[in-house]
Amino acid sequence: MDTQLLIPGIIFGLSMASVYFLMSIGLSLCFGLMRIISLDQLLYYSIGAYLTYTVSVYTGSVWLGALAGVAAGGITALAVERLIFRRIYERELTFSMITSFGILIGGIGVIKAIWGVVPRPVRMPTPELISIVGTEVPVYRLMVVAIAALVYIGIWLFLNKTITGKAIRAGIEDVEHVEGLGINVSRLFTITFVIAGALSGLAGGLHAPLIMVDPNMGLEVLAFVFMVVIIGGLGSIKGTLVSSLIVGQVVSIGSLIYAPLALMAPFAIMLLILLVKPTGLYGSTLVKK
Amino acid sequence: MPDSGHSLVVGGLNVAYGESKVLFDVDFTVDPHQIVACVGRNGVGKTTLLRSIAGFLKPLSGTVTVDGVNLLGQRPYDVARMGVKYVPQDKKVFSDLTVRENLELGSYATKDYNWDRVLEYFPKLKELMHRKAGFLSGGERQMLMIGRATLGSPKVMLIDEPTEGLAPSIVTHLKYVFSELSKHAALVIVEQNLPLVCSISNKVYAMRDGRIVAEIPGGASLKPADCEPYL
Amino acid sequence: MKNAFKWWWGILLAFGLLAASRFFLPLPFVNEVVIFSIYTIGCSFLLGRVGFISFGQPAYLAFGAYGTAFYLFYFGTNPYIGILVGVCAGFIAACIVGPLFVRLRSDYFALVNLALAVIVFYMMQKVLAEYTKGDNGLWFLTNIASTPVLNIGRSSEFFIFAMLVAIGVWALYKYLDDTIFGACCLATKINEGKLQFLGYSNFKVRLLAFIVANTTTALAGALYAVYLGSVSPEITSPARSADPVVVTILGGVGTLFGPLVGTIAYTALRDVLSKFIGNWELFVGFILVFIMLAGEKGLWGSAAPWLQKLFFRGKAADDVAEARR
Repeated sequence: MDTQLLIPGIIFGLSMASVYFLMSIGLSLCFGLMRIISLDQLLYYSIGAYLTYTVSVYTGSVWLGALAGVAAGGITALAVERLIFRRIYERELTFSMITSFGILIGGIGVIKAIWGVVPRPVRMPTPELISIVGTEVPVYRLMVVAIAALVYIGIWLFLNKTITGKAIRAGIEDVEHVEGLGINVSRLFTITFVIAGALSGLAGGLHAPLIMVDPNMGLEVLAFVFMVVIIGGLGSIKGTLVSSLIVGQVVSIGSLIYAPLALMAPFAIMLLILLVKPTGLYGSTLVKK
Repeated sequence: MPDSGHSLVVGGLNVAYGESKVLFDVDFTVDPHQIVACVGRNGVGKTTLLRSIAGFLKPLSGTVTVDGVNLLGQRPYDVARMGVKYVPQDKKVFSDLTVRENLELGSYATKDYNWDRVLEYFPKLKELMHRKAGFLSGGERQMLMIGRATLGSPKVMLIDEPTEGLAPSIVTHLKYVFSELSKHAALVIVEQNLPLVCSISNKVYAMRDGRIVAEIPGGASLKPADCEPYL
Repeated sequence: MKNAFKWWWGILLAFGLLAASRFFLPLPFVNEVVIFSIYTIGCSFLLGRVGFISFGQPAYLAFGAYGTAFYLFYFGTNPYIGILVGVCAGFIAACIVGPLFVRLRSDYFALVNLALAVIVFYMMQKVLAEYTKGDNGLWFLTNIASTPVLNIGRSSEFFIFAMLVAIGVWALYKYLDDTIFGACCLATKINEGKLQFLGYSNFKVRLLAFIVANTTTALAGALYAVYLGSVSPEITSPARSADPVVVTILGGVGTLFGPLVGTIAYTALRDVLSKFIGNWELFVGFILVFIMLAGEKGLWGSAAPWLQKLFFRGKAADDVAEARR
């Protein structure tokens, strides 16, 4: 294939992978620790994108907007956790799925009420192009990839070097033992949920300049994000990273080969992987108590 | 109640899993520095009893107090912070974390960063500090779990089937550790190993079908044959 | 005879009421309710009886709808055969994907189904665009021949047909609940290990439930195709993938009439509320969360015991009166 197309294709794929990764890492952590499927993460993604839009319109800075998106994602997640999730941690998985889906569509209603249904464009923070091996690539996409890489390092350090992170890792293995030691797991749950919400908000903020911001954007990306989480295996950070790279590249390179295939191929891959390993690439056979 | 002299008091405890009732009016008391053993066949409710005291199960009715302070209705982590530590029987350590990290979590929970006693009981853990807990043997895991639980100097330790599946040399070591531990805390041990039970306990409760059917005083006169009928 | 009546009266009463509503509610609304409730009962059965939540029901709806549409667009004119083709298409699809899907844990099951719905969506929209006419969809209203006895090309007569089908479907599900199969389904939801000890295969029970439920969904798709006279990829749009789940919860999970009550409430909410308030999702979302937090009984699940009390109290009074006489 033509390298003139291939390199921008790979960069595009990496930037998509970054967005998917930022969203699915939170989902994965929430599943691992609390055993919930939190579809409402897609709402924090939309909120992040909308705040980026609003703040960038008023201040002219997309970066400030993305920061506001992170804060809003985290704060909304905190409120939702305190009001709703706290009551349903003990229930089975389907329960959290349905409830969080209710939060998602309810939240989409709120977004429509505030911002209306018309899709909104967000300006690229840096319109420059950079030349890589003779092809022009937008700098912003590279920045998105860099930020996602920094987040990965940050999360890794958090989980491996801080005591809270260690407690979260221990909780992913067995939350009851963590509780038995006397660690306040309910605080641990809140921290994890807020981190997940903030990262989803960040994903929305970073994604906003690359797409049109519209109320249903969460639903559109939902299938892809869950595909990432499933291919990687729920509850595994490393799996999430690997599978978001796979999905991002398949979507991007696939569209160079045959456009309709691009959106379908990841699903086909997912089905294949689940056939071979029903828990995903890095997923263990976690069973809800 | 505060001056009853008992460390742990359980009164009229009724526990059910959904529709099916598992514990019926269980009463028992543990005095400070006592080792109390709980024997009975599989499925008579011994583990349920410990888990109810530790706050993992919500009893239908009854009272649980430690030094006169009510434990019922507290979250498990609060129960642990109030000085009642539960060591489950599954020997599941946090396998992805190193031994050091496992102990760090115990310290983090109790704000007790002094590991001297743990390492005094289980010197072997010193060599294993940097090993992932997942690679430990069954006996080493049990050492880690009990060691981890002694952090924060609990008043009562609830230990579920500590010697199940362990080599005799480790069982002997644990026996020594239990008698050392009882200098600082009261111990409730669920155990099937009758010779061990008889040699260390001050009191034995026998359970059958969710009820305590016998209270046997411990001491030198206690023979495994006395407990045999309940197994 | 009396027993047969006792067995049937609930279904007949429910659909009798629905049929009566035809005289004061607009026909399209009632038709939509009937078809959508058939669409939902499969999902409700999977969630309530087998414990499988599926966010991909539109996929099976699309199999049925496109099966019918292909037949009516390319091959024949008889709508009855069209519906049969659609149902067969759904049945075959369920038989193919079923063995792969039912092995999965419930959360993966939900998401894999969602993925299937997305695949079907893109297949119909892009990959098979040559045959499906892409986003424009297939239009075959004029191809539908008029049939003797019940001319289901006309929406008023279609209504009668759809009613009869719905009564049949409800009778089937009520029957399934009574059989050992229904008990097995519940058992696999609650404790799969125990079911295996009894000598039943979880896999087979789940597979059978999956096939029954999704063939029913395909039937709803086939009915949609004939009723609307057109099918477009919109039918399996990922954005609408959770509709049946929402309706199931709204009505009451695992109850016989939950899907019907849920559909009426949902369709009414959507049609009426959207006239006054632009963002009706907000209400649907919050009602959903509220129902889940309030004990997940749903509308019918909450109303049924109350109605029963009302009914049986009335009956008890009758008995007393009879005894006095």
